[in-house]
Amino acid sequence: MPPSLGLRSAFRALTIRTRPILQTPLQTNTFTQARELTTDNTSAPPPNTPGQDGMPLPEGFTGSDKQEAQLSGAPGRQGSQDSLNQLALDQLQMVAYGLNPFNPVEVGHKYGLPDLPIPSKMHMKHRYDPVIVQMTKLLMRDGKLSKAQRDMAMILNYLRTSPTPKLNPARPLIPGSPPPEALPLDPVTYITCAVDSVAPLIRLRGYKGLAGGGKSLEVPYPIALRQRRRTAFQWILDAVEKKKSKGSGRGMFPNRVAEEIVAIVEGRSSLWDKRNLVHKMGTTNRANVAALAMRQRAKR
Amino acid sequence: MMAVPNCLRCLVRPSTTSITTSVIPQSQRIVPILAAPFSTTSSVQKAGMQPRKKAGIPGKGSLSRAQIGPNGHIRAGKKMQLGKFKKAKNIERGKAPAPGERKAFRKRVLLSNDNALPVTGLEELSAQGLLDASNVGRMVALPNELVDQLRAVEAFKPTQSWGMFRQPSVLLRKESVELAKKMTETAGRGETLKLVISGDKLVGKSMLLLQAISNAFLNNWIVFHVPEGQELTNASTDYAPIPDTKPTQYSQQAYGLRLLQALRKANASILAELRTVNPHPELVQHFPVGSSLLQLANAAREPDSAWPIFNAVWSELMVKGNGRPPILFSVDGLAHIMKMSEYRSPAFEIIHAHDLALVNHFVEFLAGNKKLPNGGAVIAATARSNAPRNPSMELMVGRREAELGYAEEKPVKEPYGKGYDERVEKALEKVDVLKLRSVSRTEARSLMEYWAASGLLRTAVDEKTVSEKWMIGGNGNLGEMERVSLLTMRY
Repeated sequence: MPPSLGLRSAFRALTIRTRPILQTPLQTNTFTQARELTTDNTSAPPPNTPGQDGMPLPEGFTGSDKQEAQLSGAPGRQGSQDSLNQLALDQLQMVAYGLNPFNPVEVGHKYGLPDLPIPSKMHMKHRYDPVIVQMTKLLMRDGKLSKAQRDMAMILNYLRTSPTPKLNPARPLIPGSPPPEALPLDPVTYITCAVDSVAPLIRLRGYKGLAGGGKSLEVPYPIALRQRRRTAFQWILDAVEKKKSKGSGRGMFPNRVAEEIVAIVEGRSSLWDKRNLVHKMGTTNRANVAALAMRQRAKR
Repeated sequence: MMAVPNCLRCLVRPSTTSITTSVIPQSQRIVPILAAPFSTTSSVQKAGMQPRKKAGIPGKGSLSRAQIGPNGHIRAGKKMQLGKFKKAKNIERGKAPAPGERKAFRKRVLLSNDNALPVTGLEELSAQGLLDASNVGRMVALPNELVDQLRAVEAFKPTQSWGMFRQPSVLLRKESVELAKKMTETAGRGETLKLVISGDKLVGKSMLLLQAISNAFLNNWIVFHVPEGQELTNASTDYAPIPDTKPTQYSQQAYGLRLLQALRKANASILAELRTVNPHPELVQHFPVGSSLLQLANAAREPDSAWPIFNAVWSELMVKGNGRPPILFSVDGLAHIMKMSEYRSPAFEIIHAHDLALVNHFVEFLAGNKKLPNGGAVIAATARSNAPRNPSMELMVGRREAELGYAEEKPVKEPYGKGYDERVEKALEKVDVLKLRSVSRTEARSLMEYWAASGLLRTAVDEKTVSEKWMIGGNGNLGEMERVSLLTMRY
């Protein structure tokens, strides 16, 4: 008996299913982390820190010879009790600065040495989130990047101050997105969720005259993440352009963009339909992929 | 099917079927073929017609086709578009915003952000706390009644970032305590503090003025505050010459009413206790001696009647003794009231700002020509971003700064310089100047801890972070620090 061809399972893999409604996983760790920042530091007056406002630096920072000698712990040349106390105080001060007073590498450096390798966000050109960088460049007009950056900062600020979005279960966000109550305080994630959720997976490319009768053959092809985001953000900008602003002044454009982003997350935006339409067109035209391949093979 | 056009032509109506199926030469046709038959469509014809292109299918239109987006952004693969210089039809949808609505939206002040975490353990601002030097470098919350009062006099500005935090709170800096002490001491002696707050851009001048106003409210003073000096002089409120004044002065009735409304909202409880001591025969309404000042202020309902009442309220507040509290009169944006205004006299000459009665009133106190009988303070804050160039004011403030040791050299008048104004120089001759400078790192740290506790600054606040933000924020310029740590794309 010949082995089964396994066509059934192959076809099942080809079917297009709607995405299951997202059960948002509870990712509370980022949120709780933010809460832990609530310390009681603000109620007490801050201590006067040496090295600033005219106060002298402790010797632990200057790495003087005396300090070195004492750190090396030569028992014969111990100073008086006072200097030992002072040393201990200086070491405590270094601990307060987040330094290890017994690490000979750190002595002499005010803030210690940086961790190696230097994290990528410390690089001047990669200091912002990649999504934010891409969106900012798309916001830019006439090469005015710093204006676009200010607009983007205002967008993020709007998202931070907007109330918790009410998610629409019919319009699930991209899987893995945090719960809605964690979104406003993390505006970068907010914008990323919105853009990734409405980003189309495919693009249709028209081959002129291939469909016969001068019609073009629409062939869907998958696009990469960056392209998807670009398309989605262009759609957002198109939608924003049609909106009327409520106020006047330079803050109104970012205001409208941010409103559209909130609308996407809450499922009110028309971009969801736009995305669905593109996907539908792609599904109806998927046979063209093979047709195109056949034609190209025939040409060769 | 054989077509016999010539004999049948006269008998048969050219139906739609025959048109499409038969081959009648174009010249012989009686009825031309219409592109869209108007009532019925035969199935044959329907099949023959090309399907109508659906309009606005995304993906087809906007992705593969070259296009200029509606926002003017040029997409890749663009093709030539003819007629692109035609003006786009501007279709107005919905109703247009009412006059002033768009500005009101821009100028609205939000004082709370429900997303921000509440900061526990903040003390409330009090009159005693403002005088305590040990409070320097501490964040304090503004109590709710004070917030209402400050809102009434419009001391909160839309450019300040109140809308990011749960509750309005301020940092008590060295200068705030100094200023509060100065105000209290001067008023205690029954004298008038004449002060100009100067300083760099974004250094916190308006915020210091807000703290001065808070100090006044907490000590039960009467407060008159002009939130934007430019509103008095840029010809946006109506004005009228005051009869029998030489040189002619001009009243601004609508603005006077606005000040009165703010006064009775913010200071109602104090005004209710004060009693009039003078009869006011010039007023339309009769106010017997002994009626409350709140009644007097409440009589102003219309701009037309506001000016005499404004004068009457001031004359009552200027009575010495009789339980009258000290007064704070403050203006933000000094440069605007130290120049020629945008108003014109009946002879179409430009009116000097000091000829406007309200401005004149303030300037007389600032110059020391008039004194507040029960003590108080007259404070003006300069602005750096919205300020017309004002050489006389800059010169006088610079001179006073040099005298007080803020600068090395006294600025001198340019010998051929234009635009100097003697009236301005005279007004600012004896004024006291407080030059606001950057905060210390201790103060900056306290503020940053507050930001972090609110959940807005998502890093640990250690010496390294504080130093970093302090340095890139213009060496402790508070506004710049806020810009680089809160109003940034980096979180």
